[in-house]
Amino acid sequence: MAEEKNKKKQVMVAIDESKCSQHALQWTLEYLKDSIADSAFIIFTAQPPLDLSCVYASPYAAVPGELITSMQEIYKNDALNRLEEGNKICAAVGVTPKKVLENGNPKETICDAVEKLGVDLLVVGSHGKGALQRTFLGSVSNYCVNHAKCPVLVVRTKA
Amino acid sequence: METSAVEKQPETTTEAKEAPSVVRTKRIMVAIDENDSSFYALQWVIDHFSNLLLTTEAVEGGILTVVHVQSPFQHFAAFPAGPGGATAVYASSSMIESVKKAQQEASTALFSRALQMCRPKQIRTETIVLEGDAKEMICEAVDQINVDLLVVGSRGLGKFKRAFLGSVSDYCAHHAHCPILIVKPPKEMTK
Repeated sequence: MAEEKNKKKQVMVAIDESKCSQHALQWTLEYLKDSIADSAFIIFTAQPPLDLSCVYASPYAAVPGELITSMQEIYKNDALNRLEEGNKICAAVGVTPKKVLENGNPKETICDAVEKLGVDLLVVGSHGKGALQRTFLGSVSNYCVNHAKCPVLVVRTKA
Repeated sequence: METSAVEKQPETTTEAKEAPSVVRTKRIMVAIDENDSSFYALQWVIDHFSNLLLTTEAVEGGILTVVHVQSPFQHFAAFPAGPGGATAVYASSSMIESVKKAQQEASTALFSRALQMCRPKQIRTETIVLEGDAKEMICEAVDQINVDLLVVGSRGLGKFKRAFLGSVSDYCAHHAHCPILIVKPPKEMTK
């Protein structure tokens, strides 16, 4: 454990399109700004795998290649936009985050990234796109709390 | 299920302001039990968030609240005693007294251990003892005391190692009305 103290602390915030994760990012920057002043800040978003079920509804026998690539482009641009917005929020308080984008299911990619990057603290919102009334804790957040190898901070508003 | 007396540290204590402005006293609550996992969580908070809670002349630091929930003692249940099963002993008042005393001592021991950890970092600390079902009492306390961040360990009294997350920590992650931090012990600790 001794050698880890010399390494810079890594704080990672996982975001998606939901307002909740944006709120989580803002809360982290506001509340923890003293603690994270000397640690590396990472913003992470996952590019979900392509949902090809709608593509097969097309009248063509073979799946058109351009449609797939254009869909991938759209997903990728969405993800990059999210990272950019997160970057702007951080820049407003003077934090320069590292941006990470991974392909795949958000649950697994977040936990894999925690291991790969050696994250010391993972911050997630409590819900994603799903409605607040239906669940106490969103599925991705729940998965991260159970499986991530590092301490997890779930940011939820005072309901 | 009443709240016992709140013991405060000798340092000056100020009330947490109710207005949700940015400059208000930050309150971090750490739930502890006899398990090492919760003390690891407390140590983690002290190590990483100490500048948040530090009280200097210029900045009014935050408050670290250490809470311990005692499981209620079922003094109205009968205790089978002696062979044959026919003899059942109801808990006498002296027995209740001694159990209560033992629980008090256990809590005090836990708190002194926690305060020992906080002392070197000059963190304003307060301790609370609650009685009842751990998960519900912690979430109630969060509502009543206006906590900014709740910190729990990942595994508690149950030795059910196959579960990823202890039941209390899981319940709090789902139901607490404030941000919650779940601290897991590093791999070396879980054998």
